Amino acid sequence: MLVDFELIRRAREGDHAAYNEVVQAYRKRILGTIARLIGRPEDVEDVGQEVFLRLYFSLDQLRTPEVFEPWLYRLTVNAAYDYLRKHRRRTETRMSDLSEQQVVLADAVAGSKREDEEQRRKRIRELVNSLLNGISEQDRMLLTLKEIEGLSLKELEKIYGVNENALKVRLFRARQRVLKVYEGLERKIAPVRASE
Amino acid sequence: MSHENDSAAYNREAELSALFAAYREACPDPDPSANFTPELWARIEARQTFVFSLKRFAQGIITAAAAASLVMGAYLYRPDTYTNSPVYQTGYLELLANEQSADNPANAEIVQALYERDR
Repeated sequence: MLVDFELIRRAREGDHAAYNEVVQAYRKRILGTIARLIGRPEDVEDVGQEVFLRLYFSLDQLRTPEVFEPWLYRLTVNAAYDYLRKHRRRTETRMSDLSEQQVVLADAVAGSKREDEEQRRKRIRELVNSLLNGISEQDRMLLTLKEIEGLSLKELEKIYGVNENALKVRLFRARQRVLKVYEGLERKIAPVRASE
Repeated sequence: MSHENDSAAYNREAELSALFAAYREACPDPDPSANFTPELWARIEARQTFVFSLKRFAQGIITAAAAASLVMGAYLYRPDTYTNSPVYQTGYLELLANEQSADNPANAEIVQALYERDR
């Protein structure tokens, strides 16, 4: 926990200063999670504000301060999911739509040492976003939280409200689907690699 | 052949895991802009104003509906509207008995004819 329970209790009772402190404590972490969930840096703050707006109006429904963090994560996941659904047409990228430039970029992810660090990072971001855009929003959310955010199954249980076994099944299927997309990408970049 | 496939699948799994780890590293938590909190509060206040207006509108509708109910109730329960009518003064059986009574002038001829026949 980044804040103590007393602060959350005060924020829940309508103390604006306490709420401000909660926002200050969590905003960076939440913005980071949103950035990785939606993959569009320009909209991260907007979705982040939506999360804290929802938090403000739902804080009185929080049963105990102990479940604050899973609660906040759930709000984050829901806001990111709503964003992705709303912008589906804009962000959706099928493997067949990948431009040659993206394919070349993807190839570079294999670890070219010629490029500087920032270029490499940029290409990794683009590749992973392409992969995640190839699966459903639900799969994207779950995989991001587990594989990228590093949340444990116990934490995911609290966020999703389903048991560990059901989560394992969902995760396995989501991973299989993203692997298929990855294989498709590999097939696509193979001729590019061969021509080099 | 099967062994090669298994090995390729295992490699892809490992590559994917490494890719996700690299992505986490390539996407550090961004610093919020200076306007983040002021804009958030502006949105909260805008939402509160909207909710407040909606509440007032709903309260107005409820008050108007309650007033209309009272007016209709008063009109329907006005003492001289229905309660003075004989229909509401007597029960059904009493009304039927009165209608079919031998004393009723409308039935006098029938009563007389029956009396003549039986005699």
